[in-house]
Amino acid sequence: MKIAAPKPQLKQLQGSVRAFPAPLLLLLLGVVLLFVILLGISFGSTSIPIGTIVEVLLNGTRLFHFAQPWYPTGVIVWQVRMPGVCGAVLVGAALGVAGVLFQGMLRNPLADPFLIGTSSGAALGASIAFVLPLDTIFGSFFPLTPLFAFVGAMLTVLLVYAIARVGSYTPVVTLLLAGVVINAVLVAFQTLILELSPHAAFGIQALFNWLSGGIAVYSWSPVLIVGVIIVTGLLCSLLLANALDAFGLGEESAANLGLHVERYKFIIIIVGSLLTAAAVSISGLIGFVGLVTPHAMRMLLGPRHRLLLPASALGGAIFLTLADLLARVIVAPAVLPVGIFTALVGAPFFLLLLRNNKREYRW
Amino acid sequence: MKKRNSETLFNLSGARKESESPQSTAPLLEIDGVSFGYDGHPLLYDIHMRVNAGEMVGLLGPNGSGKTTLLRLISGVLHPQQGRMLLQGRDLQAWGRRGIARRIAVVPQELHVPFAFTVEEMVNLGRTPFIGLLGSRSKQDANIVQEAMQSTEITPLARRIFNELSGGERQRVVIAMALAQQPSLLLLDEPTSHLDIKYQIEILELVQQLNHRLGVTVIAAMHDLNLAARYFPRLLLFQRGIIADDSPAEVLDPQLLRRVYGVNVQVGILRGATHLSVLPPGEEEQEIEREKRSRPRVHLMAGGGSGELLMRALADAHIPFTAGALNIGDSDHALATRLAGEVITEQPYAPISTAALEQVRASLTRASLLVLCPMPVGPGNLALLQEAASAAKRGVAVLMFAPAGTASQAATEESQTAEGTLLQRTGIAMRDYTKGEGLKLVQEMLQAGARVVDSVGEAIQIAKQYS
Repeated sequence: MKIAAPKPQLKQLQGSVRAFPAPLLLLLLGVVLLFVILLGISFGSTSIPIGTIVEVLLNGTRLFHFAQPWYPTGVIVWQVRMPGVCGAVLVGAALGVAGVLFQGMLRNPLADPFLIGTSSGAALGASIAFVLPLDTIFGSFFPLTPLFAFVGAMLTVLLVYAIARVGSYTPVVTLLLAGVVINAVLVAFQTLILELSPHAAFGIQALFNWLSGGIAVYSWSPVLIVGVIIVTGLLCSLLLANALDAFGLGEESAANLGLHVERYKFIIIIVGSLLTAAAVSISGLIGFVGLVTPHAMRMLLGPRHRLLLPASALGGAIFLTLADLLARVIVAPAVLPVGIFTALVGAPFFLLLLRNNKREYRW
Repeated sequence: MKKRNSETLFNLSGARKESESPQSTAPLLEIDGVSFGYDGHPLLYDIHMRVNAGEMVGLLGPNGSGKTTLLRLISGVLHPQQGRMLLQGRDLQAWGRRGIARRIAVVPQELHVPFAFTVEEMVNLGRTPFIGLLGSRSKQDANIVQEAMQSTEITPLARRIFNELSGGERQRVVIAMALAQQPSLLLLDEPTSHLDIKYQIEILELVQQLNHRLGVTVIAAMHDLNLAARYFPRLLLFQRGIIADDSPAEVLDPQLLRRVYGVNVQVGILRGATHLSVLPPGEEEQEIEREKRSRPRVHLMAGGGSGELLMRALADAHIPFTAGALNIGDSDHALATRLAGEVITEQPYAPISTAALEQVRASLTRASLLVLCPMPVGPGNLALLQEAASAAKRGVAVLMFAPAGTASQAATEESQTAEGTLLQRTGIAMRDYTKGEGLKLVQEMLQAGARVVDSVGEAIQIAKQYS
């Protein structure tokens, strides 16, 4: 019983953290995110002092007129580093919130945004894009891979949902099973395509990098398009906060609280998948952000989704921006896949939570 | 239908408010001929019940008798396949999910919550049906939540984590959550089945208090007969249909309980207690029971409501009788369960099985009189008539009950022999759906000396001679 001894202390600690006013915590997360963004812009092949970045950014608002730094700095900040960092922020926020949506709906703390087919659908779409001898569709500015990944992810989720539907209900168990089966089938298709394709040899290294996850954004246009989708998704998810709280009691209790359970389930799946698919389209498959972020935020703020959703958006953004920073810095000038760092940081952190907090994971 | 501008919490909630409106004549809940089954397996038959505002009703019945299903039908989560359900005089589904949630709250057996909600957050969830998508909780909501926590005496627990509470405390929180919905009707599904005796009593005291003080109507499924007897002035005994609906003194009848639960019990008022208690019987009692059970000398075959008149008359005349085989869900089965000494039971809508037929045969060897009610004869129960015919040939007296009006008028020309007239009087031709096989069996029985009577009085006179 020696192990049990420190537990009461931990509970008290948690109690006091919960007592910490929530708005202050959200504000704190916002400040941390700003700092991390500046850090992300600052580090790279040439480091730029944070003061300079702030000056450049404030000049951008046209309200301030600091002395221009020497020529390439402004370009590096605005055209090279900013799109990448913004991409990381968007993707992190999307995955964090999608994680909250799926965990809340499925009442399963092990759920992550990729559970019901988004990952395999996106991967299959990306593979098709890689083996096609085209780079863009009719020279449009949006590259082929993210588009195919996005479409693949959304189609897969709709397919899984349609398969899992029994009459007018979509039981969680069939949803998860259909997700697992469709995942397996799509992975098989993906392997088949790569095996048979004559172009595969050229694309395979690029595809591998894509699958390992990396914020592959070097211009503003994809960030803007994906940004619109993700911000819309984030706002929609805020409208689902009350419903998600009620889902925590189980579907029948949620129905008894006046919710149209099946309708909400569909909306949650669509919003969650839209966020995930949009994120995946510019980042590839990045694990652990959607799984770990909601847990960490739940420990800080409790399970109320009204707070949990915005907090997870901020938390996910912080997490991924930091991971992206590490990926770019550690063996600079080479860039490692971000997925490596989210797993290396996320997994131990998750295990730590699990050990200290076993009582929370009753299902 | 906004109820949020009430000054005090419960005075204006649901039931009271509705009672001032023109709908006041309608009972709070009216269930009219509701049947339900899962995946084609029928589970509830032809339920009729009315619950008035302010009542406290306990549902009794063995496991799988359909108590929970009935509660889920009332809460609108399941939809009846037949019949209709009215809440405050209006069709249940017409209220909409939110509308129902503002009037009916449900306390499940046990609530599992995978996340660490605090007690206050949980009770707050009870306000869900009253707040919009974006709408946050108003001061009014906060007051209602506080009052709900005070009513259930959980205010000191407000900041504790729900999952870390004891079972009894958790159930209190769930009841507080239900109260925050300001329900007119509170449904509880075996609310005490996972609790120690101390908490069982505590929870039921609380529910009773809410009923008395706040006027919340309560319908609760109960598995503990003693607690049900103590706290519920009206009990409904269930076996896929309503077997009895009355005060505890009427419903907790040892005979009835034996037939529904399949176990011998004795019921009485313990010394120093004020309510009925249900206990396992002493050994002598069991002896008497056994003797009683072997006594009936009259066996009755019925079905489709044809046995109602005679069974009631036999019971009134204190003539013990056995009945069957009857299908569960048949109104005759429900009645026989209450009135007959032994009921041979068959699965719903199923043809009479060989096992049931053997029981019928055994019952007929003990019986000296077989009463045949004017039930329809089809392929499903033709075997019963075959048993009856062979019993008649063995010398068991057979009495065919055929009240006037059931006999066919059209068959007057058939044959003018005495036997033909008798056959005609049984009315079998009108209710034979076996292409003449049933008719043939009735004919055989008449040949063996079966008597046909058309009045209940006459039938009882004859039955008295045999019992």
